[in-house]
Amino acid sequence: MLITRRTALLSGAAVSSLAVIGRARAQDTMKIGVVSPLTGAVAEPGRIQLNSMRLAAEKVNGAGGVLGRQIELIVEDDQSSNPGAVLAFSRLAERKEIVGFIGSIRSTQMNAMAPDMLKVAKPVMFGGTDPTLTKLGNPWLFRCRPNDSYSGRVIVDFCTKTLKLSKVALVHSTDAFGTGGKNAIIANLDKLDLKAALVQGYTNNQSDFSPVVLAVKQSGADVIVSYFTNEPDCAVFARQLRQLGVRIPWVGSPSIMSPVTRGLAKNALYGTYAVGDFVEDSNPTAKAFADAYRARYKESPDSGWTYDGLTILAKAINDAKSTEPDKIRAAILAIKKFPGTEGEYNFDQFGDGLHGYNVVINNDGNIEYKQHIEFTD
Amino acid sequence: MSDFLQLVFQGLGIGAIYALVSLGFVLLIRAANVVNFAQGEFSMLGAYLLVVFFNLLGLPYLLGMLLSIVIMAGFGLVFAYTTYWPLRFRGGLPVIISTIGASIFLQNMVLWIYGPSSTPIDGLFASDGIQVGQVFLASQYLAIIVIATVLVLLQYLIFEKTLLGKRLQATSQDKEMASLLGIPVVLMVMITFAYSSSLGGLAGMLVAPILFVSVNMAGIITLKAFAANIIGGYGSIPGAILGGLALGITETLGAAYISVPYKDAFAFLLVLGFLMVRPQGLFGEKIAEKA
Repeated sequence: MLITRRTALLSGAAVSSLAVIGRARAQDTMKIGVVSPLTGAVAEPGRIQLNSMRLAAEKVNGAGGVLGRQIELIVEDDQSSNPGAVLAFSRLAERKEIVGFIGSIRSTQMNAMAPDMLKVAKPVMFGGTDPTLTKLGNPWLFRCRPNDSYSGRVIVDFCTKTLKLSKVALVHSTDAFGTGGKNAIIANLDKLDLKAALVQGYTNNQSDFSPVVLAVKQSGADVIVSYFTNEPDCAVFARQLRQLGVRIPWVGSPSIMSPVTRGLAKNALYGTYAVGDFVEDSNPTAKAFADAYRARYKESPDSGWTYDGLTILAKAINDAKSTEPDKIRAAILAIKKFPGTEGEYNFDQFGDGLHGYNVVINNDGNIEYKQHIEFTD
Repeated sequence: MSDFLQLVFQGLGIGAIYALVSLGFVLLIRAANVVNFAQGEFSMLGAYLLVVFFNLLGLPYLLGMLLSIVIMAGFGLVFAYTTYWPLRFRGGLPVIISTIGASIFLQNMVLWIYGPSSTPIDGLFASDGIQVGQVFLASQYLAIIVIATVLVLLQYLIFEKTLLGKRLQATSQDKEMASLLGIPVVLMVMITFAYSSSLGGLAGMLVAPILFVSVNMAGIITLKAFAANIIGGYGSIPGAILGGLALGITETLGAAYISVPYKDAFAFLLVLGFLMVRPQGLFGEKIAEKA
């Protein structure tokens, strides 16, 4: 084929025009940076979190977008690791057009990324539940899940006020999560002048929990409270508890209700209670989100915080009528009584949006919403 | 008293698991002078094979176990050919490092195929167990204790009372001399790898209903099994079983009466005690004598 100079010039002009149009369109979108585990050990929950964000983006875009522009998610893989998260955020940080970020559900990753987030100085919506994350003096972190200090408080409140049981056998992992939970339970029991009948730590990855079960049995406790980190540990404990005839009520941290734990322990967990942040039947927003998710992805979601995070970020930018970070921050902190999938958002001065937990019961394998316990102080 | 008996039963059950895995170690040490750090992965692979045959393909449980044992025997041969054979004249250390490499490879391969989540699997019996007075005897633990006892007897008979066992031992002690005496050394080594792999797989299948099936299911158990081997006497069959049981009971009683978080420490304190006071273990030979 003969290419004349004229044809070449025309082709070049056309390509240039397309590039300019493409760039203009790209600049037209409102870009949100996302750090998400696309690969590695927690890629599976990461996929659900990303799908949830896409649903939120579609909803916002369908309602007119943000300041008249469509949301575009710029996703970087954190490889399910702390170094991966830091690298992913640094890639996003280079893109000046990004107006805000969705961070991680893992507190350790958030801790690793927090210094860079402070330097970038743009709002980050995140899900890690370590209470100290919003007390780091970093004004750009906004949490879309209740922090761990509330789980202990809700568990003690539920045991003493709803179940009317106060002789607590506390079983906890000796790692950072379990020890933090133990401290929260003891602190909240102290406030009620109560003392635990048993405080029993264990190291992760146990093959036999019979000494722990027998200690619970001997303690005379009327309720078990637990903070298990690993699902198999929780399932082994549950089975041995039932085999050795312990039948007292059991209120656990969220891991006791995870699909993995329930799949492993099966009927050994029937009748147990747990605190949980995302519960489908806990409010109309969660229900509508779960229905929409199922319709699109043919499975049920197990969290809604990324959906909430993106929705809140979009609302804040619209409320602020600006993409200036300081104005978006002020708009997020001004959000009160906002109905999210994880509960009603009332941002406090530290950036915590939620201040309570749902309590659920495992009713013959089905998770049923029991009540929501909210704190205002 | 009933609590004490309950704890002793649990300790015996968990100790029998250690003993079973420890037996796999002992076999390879005795017959091929190989300390196999992928022994735990044999257990993990056996458990995953049972998941495939029973959970996924719906075959009867015992048939699934049998097929898994046969496949694990074949896997043992492949393992020997790839991990041990090329390094057999290079001394002990390269083979040990080779087995560590194989362990990492197998873990990551299974992680790639099945992911990190644990999988539940039914036990040998429909019933959870039986109540005897105040003590509950879990059926899977009972099965492990019985099967471990039978295997110990079988293994003892094979090694001490049969020509095959003596050939295996001769191969372990001096391959050149064994070869001069007409013993098919290669065949002996391969038989040992196949049997050890099957035994490891069986241990994994028996443990799976209690600890679930996962990539890391055999991690701490393998360490304890190796410790049991040291307590019982390096390379001793009766030592492996007694060491495993002693370890299981010590850590269970220690956890119940002293401290749960230090449960693993009791096991390793026992090992330290043996290394200081009786380094040859319960039934082991003194190194000088063996040389």
